[in-house]
Amino acid sequence: MLTLITGGSGSGKSEYAEQLVLQGQKKPYLYIATMIPYDEECHRRIARHRRMRAEKEFDTLECPVRLKEAKAAGYGTILLECMSNLVANELYQENGAKERCVEETLEGIHKIHSQCEHLIVVSNEIFGDGIWYDEETRRYQQYLARINRELAAMAAQAVEVVYSVPVRYKGDKQTV
Amino acid sequence: MILVTGGCFQGKKAYAYERFAICEEEGVDGAVCPMEALYSARLCYHFHEYIRRMMESGQEWSFERLKKENPQIVIVTNELGYGVVPVDAFDRAYREKTGRICCEIAKESSEVHRVICGIGTVIKHD
Repeated sequence: MLTLITGGSGSGKSEYAEQLVLQGQKKPYLYIATMIPYDEECHRRIARHRRMRAEKEFDTLECPVRLKEAKAAGYGTILLECMSNLVANELYQENGAKERCVEETLEGIHKIHSQCEHLIVVSNEIFGDGIWYDEETRRYQQYLARINRELAAMAAQAVEVVYSVPVRYKGDKQTV
Repeated sequence: MILVTGGCFQGKKAYAYERFAICEEEGVDGAVCPMEALYSARLCYHFHEYIRRMMESGQEWSFERLKKENPQIVIVTNELGYGVVPVDAFDRAYREKTGRICCEIAKESSEVHRVICGIGTVIKHD
């Protein structure tokens, strides 16, 4: 099964996703982390997420680029966070997939999805501030939006988290 | 406590006044009101601006105090966080802080309403 959890920055989507895993999803749990820490703020963010996962029996796999090469076999439930970082890395890192970012990422998703019982992907809404960015940033928004749309189409469950409140677009209230 | 959120210029304030039958004299503007006013007002709009002012003046947020002194307040806030990560560090921290505080408020609220084009949807109702 595939579940997409999206929302704005600071909406509580990570916490919601982790709660969803802990509510009886199949073990063992793998957390695929995508952020590359480049400054103190990133380290703080990562530390905050690590604390939230502490003692919740998650293994962690760092995967800033090339999701399809991730060694993620043997897990019941996989939580991938966050698609917005992964796409940014694929676009801007030297070893990233660049213009093949959407295809490569979706290939990676398919592969990981086929290896576990439940894949939960956290993504990010970065499309609503009404600012017309430079071409490169717009391309980033476009790529992420395309991946979000593909994920939502594939997913059995799709949820937007609004300040901790789940707004369900797909799936049943009993399960998501 | 009740939280009303949504994008800017969506009619959140008008919606909240009408929906909860509060007259305008009972509401305060989070962008300009005295910081203490939050603890006695029936409604506070531009709450995100209240958070910004709090951060700019280095004040600590105490949700415990709000819960204790004004548990019936209606809080109207912009929904921030739907854009590209801001370049400016303060903007990032402000967006993050607003998110954390509004999550806290939403969890405590008996109702959360989201307003788009002046139309409210109840997304949480205990």
